[in-house]
Amino acid sequence: MLSRTSNETTERARGGESLAARVAHFRAANAWWIQIACYTLSVLLLIGTWQALGNSFGVLFVPFTTTMRRLWELLDSGPLLPALWVSGELYLIILAFNVVLGVVIGLLLARVALVSAAFEPYIYILYATPTISLVPFVSVLLGFEFWPRVLVGVLISIFPVLIGVAEGARSIPRQHLDVAAIFGSNERQLWRDVIIPYVLPYAMSGIKQSIALSMAGTLVAEFFLNPDGIAAVLLQGTTIVDSGWVLAVTIFIAALAVTLVGVGELVERYVIRWRQSAVG
Amino acid sequence: MATISSGITAPASARSAWLDRWLTRARLAPVVTGLVILAIWQIGVSATLPDFVARPSGILLAIPSTIASEEFWLDVLLTLGSILEGVVIGSAAGIVIGVAMGRVREINWVLTPYIRALYALPLIALVPIVILWVGYQPAARLVIVVISVFLPVAVSTADGTRAIPKDYLDVGKMFGARTHNVWFGIALPAALPFIVAGVELGLARGITNAIAVEVLASVQGMGMSVFTKSNELNENASLVYVLCLAVFAVGVRSLMIRARHWLAPWYHR
Repeated sequence: MLSRTSNETTERARGGESLAARVAHFRAANAWWIQIACYTLSVLLLIGTWQALGNSFGVLFVPFTTTMRRLWELLDSGPLLPALWVSGELYLIILAFNVVLGVVIGLLLARVALVSAAFEPYIYILYATPTISLVPFVSVLLGFEFWPRVLVGVLISIFPVLIGVAEGARSIPRQHLDVAAIFGSNERQLWRDVIIPYVLPYAMSGIKQSIALSMAGTLVAEFFLNPDGIAAVLLQGTTIVDSGWVLAVTIFIAALAVTLVGVGELVERYVIRWRQSAVG
Repeated sequence: MATISSGITAPASARSAWLDRWLTRARLAPVVTGLVILAIWQIGVSATLPDFVARPSGILLAIPSTIASEEFWLDVLLTLGSILEGVVIGSAAGIVIGVAMGRVREINWVLTPYIRALYALPLIALVPIVILWVGYQPAARLVIVVISVFLPVAVSTADGTRAIPKDYLDVGKMFGARTHNVWFGIALPAALPFIVAGVELGLARGITNAIAVEVLASVQGMGMSVFTKSNELNENASLVYVLCLAVFAVGVRSLMIRARHWLAPWYHR
């Protein structure tokens, strides 16, 4: 009570008499610092809890420091980096297929009525079906090699691009096309000036999602078609019941995933900016 | 390219336009494609591939014997039961955490790094560590389904409760709403469409991840049976399972769309 009246001039002016109002004011005034403090606290909390739990649980949950040491061993002389190249190659090829096939099929679905009418229901059924359940059929028909893996990965991660492009191309306003027709655009101009700029943001949003999802596709392909790459390293840790190993690889994958999501956002922002400067 | 753009610039030739319209209007096109796909599949497989490879006629014949078996219903019960249980736990936790993140900035800041990292991480990468902790047990499947549902629900609930129109809050304040009134009386209902969308996404991921856990952890269920039946060279029966999973996934999705219309009739997308 006393302290409230002592600095009353400022508090009165804001009408913030109650404790709640003062807390609210403090939060608003120091938002930036509080944010930094929250992030720091959150990281410290994780490491602290992990360390404490790890010290008391033993083999099944090793402390943070042990996990980091194990991660370093795996990266330095272990199987992690070679596995990363194997997975990386698969990932890039899956992503390339997603972008190319997703854009082409998406445009076909949106702009050719017959294709859309004939195939759309099946594409949505395929989308809803848990793709993992199709893996045994892929492996029986095509084997366990590189291209079957690519197929499984693409089946898992193509849909954001495909559906995004189809929705974008479908929502081009009639007027845009009419204006282009009135000004006598030829094919090439129509695509350059109307369709591609219009569909681009939709495609990019799909590609951004696919950049992250292709990683899931890669992992599933590696898990289920004769373990290989990073997934194999992960399973190896489970087999020898080395929780430090498994935790280290999981964290490595999480870091990769966060990076890829960030890359996707950057790419999207860059392309959108390019579009704004190019088309206006 | 020519075929794509011909539909945009000028009307296609009269005959193909007529064909287009007739096929679309009659809703015959999907049926025709379906039949063609099935025919190609049937003839192609029968002509070139060994007997055990799945074909439409084989799947049709396998349906009665598969569905009549006790094992099938046990699988269905185990997998779908675990998914539903996970959805209930995951959405409840996701809604509570999501509302807290949406309404209190500090909670949002503390939790965001983890939620973002887990959201980016393909959850299949968590399966090995969960197996290590929980064991090769059905509980591993439940844990993964709970996480699969929790994350999208928490994220979308947070988005939904953060983006409440200011008018709602002002009106609430005018009528003397307290914090819990704002959270559960204003923010939560306003976020309903977001929550449903989160549950929808979570369910789709939950189904996929449940199957992944079953196979990786050898837990009995529909996903495991898809793989074992296929390995026993009984692909037709295996595809009956896939068909059921697909029906379940599609059914759940349309149910969620209906739920959104029912819970949030004001919200159109």
